[in-house]
Amino acid sequence: MADPFQEVIEKLKTWGRVNSPWAIHFNSGSCNGCDIEILATLTPRYDVERFGIKLQGSPRHADVLICTGPVSLQARDRLIRTYEQMPEPKFVIAVGSCAISGGVFQGLYNVVGDVSEVIPVNVYVPGCPPRPDAIIFGVVQLLKSLQG
Amino acid sequence: METNHVPEKFIVSIGPQHPALKEPGHFEFTVDGEVVTNATARLGFVHRGMEKGTEGRNYVQDLYLMERVCGICSHVHAMAFALGVEKLAGVQAPPRAQAIRELIAELERIHSHLLWLGVAAHEGGFDTLFMFSWRDRETVMDLLELISGNRVNYSANVLGGVKIDINEKQKDAMHKGMDFLEERTEHYMKVVTEDETFLGRTRNIGLMTKDQAELLGAVGPTSRASGVPHDVRVDSPYAGYADFPVKLITEPAGDLEARFVVRINELFESYRLVREIIDHLPEGELTVRVPRRIPEGETVSRVEAPRGELFYFMKSNGTDKPDRVKVRTPSLCNWASVLTLAVGHKLADMPMILAGIDPCFSCNDRMVTINRGNDSQVWSWEDLRKYGIDYYK
Amino acid sequence: MVKKKVLTPEELLQAGKEALQSWILSENTPENNRLDVVIQTAEIKNCVRALVNAKWGYLSAITALDSPEYTLVEGSNDKVIVPDKGNVELLYHFCNGAAIITMRMKLPYANAAIDSICEVIPSATLYEREASELLGVDFIGTPSTEHLLLPDEWPVNVYPLRKSFTGLEKQNKVEEK
Repeated sequence: MADPFQEVIEKLKTWGRVNSPWAIHFNSGSCNGCDIEILATLTPRYDVERFGIKLQGSPRHADVLICTGPVSLQARDRLIRTYEQMPEPKFVIAVGSCAISGGVFQGLYNVVGDVSEVIPVNVYVPGCPPRPDAIIFGVVQLLKSLQG
Repeated sequence: METNHVPEKFIVSIGPQHPALKEPGHFEFTVDGEVVTNATARLGFVHRGMEKGTEGRNYVQDLYLMERVCGICSHVHAMAFALGVEKLAGVQAPPRAQAIRELIAELERIHSHLLWLGVAAHEGGFDTLFMFSWRDRETVMDLLELISGNRVNYSANVLGGVKIDINEKQKDAMHKGMDFLEERTEHYMKVVTEDETFLGRTRNIGLMTKDQAELLGAVGPTSRASGVPHDVRVDSPYAGYADFPVKLITEPAGDLEARFVVRINELFESYRLVREIIDHLPEGELTVRVPRRIPEGETVSRVEAPRGELFYFMKSNGTDKPDRVKVRTPSLCNWASVLTLAVGHKLADMPMILAGIDPCFSCNDRMVTINRGNDSQVWSWEDLRKYGIDYYK
Repeated sequence: MVKKKVLTPEELLQAGKEALQSWILSENTPENNRLDVVIQTAEIKNCVRALVNAKWGYLSAITALDSPEYTLVEGSNDKVIVPDKGNVELLYHFCNGAAIITMRMKLPYANAAIDSICEVIPSATLYEREASELLGVDFIGTPSTEHLLLPDEWPVNVYPLRKSFTGLEKQNKVEEK
């Protein structure tokens, strides 16, 4: 039987996580198309910060890893290491066609392709690149799933 | 903690890593006190193997591939590729298509320069300028989406021409957009040339003389800000540039301020060109037929990307797949120049100096190794950026 | 004020050709603004210096091409690569306005070595590193042979832009044989 005190702590944690998740962004070799649309979500028209999401630098304080790119061989180990440095619970949003399947780079000699071959992924946001609205939608989907 | 002995340098990676894996330091600065005495960079983080990829795909597929060399200047890559294929095939795209190619290239230059303005400002701690310029940039993103259906990767080029046309309503929207942006850009020019704090971080910093720029092989606005009069649109007009010429814009000072001024002046010139093209868009077809198999030959295709000269060498072998496509991006030229330039400057100036060449923005999480005497530290880019901002407070 | 006369591409090419005259083995004008000259591998530094001293344009890129030797598979029309017998072709592209002069040399796989031109043009180091790691050219005296693009762990003597390279997994299978 679940400990009621623990349940409250879990709900508080979820609330905290859902209302102000800290995200880091990792580019695993993308052409930058997705990255500039991610950056655009921070700017006035899209303003992703009103959802309480803060994009910041260190993996050690991050809840969410936003990953773009088809994972170049050089990026692979760094991606794994960045993921490992994040504290539990942690979530990954793969943004863009490249992060899903390698996109147009599938099969090229210096790419792995699919981010989920390297680290587990929770949300995929398809597009080449996806619009900032789509990226925000993806993030909100993740937050909603945490609430539930 | 593991130490690797390299002549004259001590590289110690700090941080939780597996001892066997070396941190791929993207930038490495050796400093003596505050002054940088050596700077190197490792590129290759974004190396995907595209040139090899072109050999296994046909020309049509390769057009889609080359669009994605860089998301910020996707159109100029596709255009350089398409122009090259057309030369090899011995055909010329019709005038309306060439004019539309130029139109989109200039709209792309506008989005790229505004993007850069914001990012460079952010590197220096001027986040208000970042927010404003990116908000204004949405105007040109909307225009690009209006005419092509996508904000990034507009995919306007086909082999033999373009696949999108411009109607009257779109022309009106573009006029309005250019008017708005021109007014906003006048404001940015004032900030960049008159704001004391801004000038404190840009005037007389990152100096590169004309001779240095030429010797180090700098291209684009970086070299034009040192007075080097090279611009592929002027030297070797392509697409619509013979009919709709552009003015060569240079600045003599060669410092960071000059690099800002050149790009802002290029914005004004792009606004003018966009208006000119839509007011005088030639009538006619949008495409010319290009055969599936391209006759044997070699060609060179050079275009002026927002960052400078983009160089494509293409070799065909009579089949529907290229034999070789070689891409030399402008950023490659500018890395060499800026790393040499960095020597003698303060560490605190590095973020702005590096931003000043408008590098491919991809390595947002690039790591920086700082070597100081016998000690080495690994910083994140954020750390270096904050260091610069705090230094100048 | 006298306006400086803008030279046509043909005039520019003529001037460049004169600067390189003593080393040209053969030449070709594939397009009206392009001049290809074949020179001896050993003369590359002299030729580059000649263009630099004549202030003829700037080095825009160095292209490395794989030119393998092919043979027909017995009893079919399929070509296969003859190992170890091909060439790497190097193209040094200098641009001056619309004019482009390309200096070309073929280096046999067995001796794919050429002098570095970094003494004359320091920024050429990035181009030399790229050609070296992707096509296996040895630039004698080049200041750095650190990988520019390929990962450090990339297998030695495996050059991805050679036609014989078809992927790392296949490469590993070949080596296991």
